[in-house]
Amino acid sequence: MIASINRIDLIGTLPAVFAGSDAASRTSDVWRRDISFTRPATYLIRAESGTGKSSLCSYIYGSRTDFSGDILFDGRSIRTLTVNEWCSLRRTAIACLPQEMHLFPELSVIDNIMLKNRLTDCKTGAEISQMLAALELDGKISTPAGRLSVGQQQRVAIIRALCQPFSFLLADEPVSHLDTRNNAAVASMIHCEATERQAAVIATSVGNDIALSSPVILNL
Amino acid sequence: MNPVNRLLSRNISAGQITGYVMANLVGLTIVLTALQFYRDITADSGTPDSFITRDYLIISPRVSGLGSLGGQVAGFSEAEISEIDACPWVRRVGRFTSAAFQVYASVDAFGRPMGTSLFLESIPDSFFDITPPGWDWTPESGEPLPVVISKDYLTLYNFGFAASAGLPQVSESMLSAIPFRLSVSGNGRQEWLPARIAGFSSRLNTIAVPEAFMQWANARFADEPAAPSRRLIIEVSQPGSPLIEPFLADHGYEAAGDKADTSRMIRLLSVITGVVIAVGTIISILAFFILLLSIWLLLQKNRSKLHMLMQLGYTPAQVSRPYTVMVCIVNAAVLALALAITLISQLVWSTRLDDLGLSSASPWITIVTGIAIAITLTLLNIIAIRRRVASAFRI
Repeated sequence: MIASINRIDLIGTLPAVFAGSDAASRTSDVWRRDISFTRPATYLIRAESGTGKSSLCSYIYGSRTDFSGDILFDGRSIRTLTVNEWCSLRRTAIACLPQEMHLFPELSVIDNIMLKNRLTDCKTGAEISQMLAALELDGKISTPAGRLSVGQQQRVAIIRALCQPFSFLLADEPVSHLDTRNNAAVASMIHCEATERQAAVIATSVGNDIALSSPVILNL
Repeated sequence: MNPVNRLLSRNISAGQITGYVMANLVGLTIVLTALQFYRDITADSGTPDSFITRDYLIISPRVSGLGSLGGQVAGFSEAEISEIDACPWVRRVGRFTSAAFQVYASVDAFGRPMGTSLFLESIPDSFFDITPPGWDWTPESGEPLPVVISKDYLTLYNFGFAASAGLPQVSESMLSAIPFRLSVSGNGRQEWLPARIAGFSSRLNTIAVPEAFMQWANARFADEPAAPSRRLIIEVSQPGSPLIEPFLADHGYEAAGDKADTSRMIRLLSVITGVVIAVGTIISILAFFILLLSIWLLLQKNRSKLHMLMQLGYTPAQVSRPYTVMVCIVNAAVLALALAITLISQLVWSTRLDDLGLSSASPWITIVTGIAIAITLTLLNIIAIRRRVASAFRI
């Protein structure tokens, strides 16, 4: 079982859909390059829509494998990881906030969060309540996620993503639906969690950047 | 209920599960009931009289009215025996040897002497599957001569003669315990021999003694050379063969008792049971596919949920669990119901079979078979679920 990851290497990685076209990779700091993500650090990946931000998160999170080149976790190709190893990594080493948030609309806010927390046993009930309060969701605990606004759903998904130990946090456009005040609150929460765990944060953005301090900026 | 079960139990169709339960219950019940019935009708009665347990046929020439008046005794010629031996349904033929001397049995029963003239026959010892006790009799041994008598004679005495003559009825064990004496005479000699009843047979409708005794006694007491065999015992290689009856009819032979008919009836029932088991199996297989299809449909409907749960770090085994638990419960319930119906049915038919002289077989084989079928179905279901869930790991 892999409990933590210290380094993620991208070795000439390119989404399969971009194969045969130089347009995507000519100006990119990521595609077809050899780059490393190490921890602790903060990376902000800026890109226009359609250039592969979500694909990059999916590749690193093991949800998709349609890429050429390779991705290494501490030197080991992720193509060699088994399904159970991926499941274990997702509980202990890599946290992910997908752009689609993947909340279950029929479950309440707290059930959605507990779905993750009962697996990792990471946060106490009090800690979760604090996090909900910090993101102004304390009145929505029992509301089905489907009835929340998109911005509220995004904040629930952020709290759920943080209910686990992690070495890397992948946040795909984490604040795309948030105002400045909530953006700052989310950024502060992520910063605290990442600092506490000596973890790296890899966030993407199409323009509304998460307000993390001094990130390494990469253009996709 | 934890949120995972709550999520995944959505879309479970009670109608489809009920449909599966009904269909598999019918299929499994038919298979198990037919199996138990087959085992019951083919069960050996297991009582001590079954010295001969395999399929034998005892035949004799039909007695013609004129022949018997003339004092001639019908027998089998060597040519006839060879012809019978050559039949495809015959494994081997044994000859009955009749006593060519006078036999008189005497017993001191209930304070008064009783006696009767008897006839004795023997068959080759190899036709006994279980040799009656003391069957290795020799003239020098001085042991009582073992005699196996037809069960029919005892029945005839108990329910025919004893009842009307005001005599006490006797049981097999009582009769076996009574020593009696045989007077053997002929060829100018007469001897008394101690004898005892070694057992009762429902297959041999004669009074049988060891072949060794018969050879010894025929050589010593017979007035004239032994007559040709009047009866033959045939070990049948194809019981219930359609060739047997026409052969016997064409040659004017008679099969003793209704044993051949019983055997044929059991064969017929076996074939019918086989067909019924096949039908039950087909229904069970179809029911299995109903459940499989229902589960696939369910997993397809919940595919994105399964995918999202595995994205959170749930393993395929964890997200499969609600479905595997459901399959186990449903199959266990079907098994329990099917076994209950089978065992109740057995109670119903066992009294009827008792009337036919057939005893019931132990239900354990049926129960084990049912459990094996249920476990197999469940395992196949679980494998299908695991594979389907694993396929939702990546979309």
